[in-house]
Amino acid sequence: MIKFFSKPYRWTVIFTLLLTMSFIFVLLDTFVIPKSIQSVETEPTDTEKAAPELNKSAVVITDNIYKDENIKITIETYREYDTTIYVADVQLTDAAYLKTALAGNTYGRNITEKTSAIAAAHNAVLAVNGDYYGFRDYGYVLRNGTVYRNIARSAGDDEALLVDEEGNFSVFHESQAGIESLYNKNPWQIFSFGPALVKNGQIMVDSTSEISGKSMRSNPRTAIGQISSLHYIFIVSDGRTNESAGLSLFELAQEFKEKDCITAYNLDGGGSSTMYFNGEVINNPTDGRRIKEREVSDIVYCGY
Amino acid sequence: MTLSIAAIDSKRPKCQLRRTIITYWLVSIAAIAVDNIYAIFGHGVRSPAMTWMFLYPLLGGGLVFLLIKLLFPQSIKASGYRLFYNVYNSGIAALTTGSFLKGILDIAGTSSPYTAVYYITGGLFIAAGLIILLYIILQYKNKGNSLKCVN
Repeated sequence: MIKFFSKPYRWTVIFTLLLTMSFIFVLLDTFVIPKSIQSVETEPTDTEKAAPELNKSAVVITDNIYKDENIKITIETYREYDTTIYVADVQLTDAAYLKTALAGNTYGRNITEKTSAIAAAHNAVLAVNGDYYGFRDYGYVLRNGTVYRNIARSAGDDEALLVDEEGNFSVFHESQAGIESLYNKNPWQIFSFGPALVKNGQIMVDSTSEISGKSMRSNPRTAIGQISSLHYIFIVSDGRTNESAGLSLFELAQEFKEKDCITAYNLDGGGSSTMYFNGEVINNPTDGRRIKEREVSDIVYCGY
Repeated sequence: MTLSIAAIDSKRPKCQLRRTIITYWLVSIAAIAVDNIYAIFGHGVRSPAMTWMFLYPLLGGGLVFLLIKLLFPQSIKASGYRLFYNVYNSGIAALTTGSFLKGILDIAGTSSPYTAVYYITGGLFIAAGLIILLYIILQYKNKGNSLKCVN
């Protein structure tokens, strides 16, 4: 065999070929090949069963308002920091109306759909993209009361958001709390992205903060915050376009602080940032080159 | 990367080694260029793995072969040199490719368990290559051959 490989170029050609093939395989495995791990239970949960029948005659729908007896949503769009910002003020009568959904109703890797498609499939009134859990192998995934992944992120990049069954937000560090230790808090959702923008009414980031400290300061953003019991703010900003520069995490945190949020948490942004309201995408999602909605693994939504 | 330097001209060791060193330096420059071009399309997001990947060909490749050229140029005539050359270059190629791949995944905000395979494979190949090189040098010394540079 040594004699075979001692001929000029033979080893080189074979090794280069192997290296190229393995390189392509890893890229496909990471970005393309769908891996379904668990289907979402479609049986209604106890809280869903408890949801009262909707009186459809009392529903008010305009371009920027949705109102019925359980859900009240007001959309406000304005310019700040050379960026278009979309703010949804959400008031609910029960935490059961604050939900999440997974693409294809399946937990797994590289299983994606557009935010608008997932939202439409679940009759969402308002939806934003979630934490794109399916792009990573680490970080707790707990949705609508079901644990899908219990692998904690390592310290330093591990702030997660817990939404309990009462609809209250709290931020914790995954590396310091095993998922079992959170069960006494009655978790309804856990998001694993971050960082926390506001905690106890105080801004938790500064002008130098960035996700993993390596991306650009201004980006399209998605984040959610809580003002009081069952009263929430969803914010999505445009960015990476000539019309909108995007927001830094600090600017985003300031928006939540100005709206009196006691807790606010950053979700996946960039090309994922999408806000869907009354059957339409209302922001300008972009991959940086053109306006185009990206496929994501999960959404946060209000609806039935 | 190793394709263009795979043919060994043992009759002119210095020329051969010079070609290898220059190729590695060119690969280093290409690695720096790739990192900067990738940053433009990655919305300014950078990864240390991709930023520093040029060090593998620059130091692991160029510097090591420069030392061979300066200290042991006649080792190129040894029968085991081809084996060292193939194995060592493959190690540098595996490490550089692994670093590039890790950089792509870092920038995208994801990871893969397979990137570790490149570092392990690269490390093993380099260790094996250096052991073979050491064996060649010791063999020369035992035979009483001079390994000094022949100009």
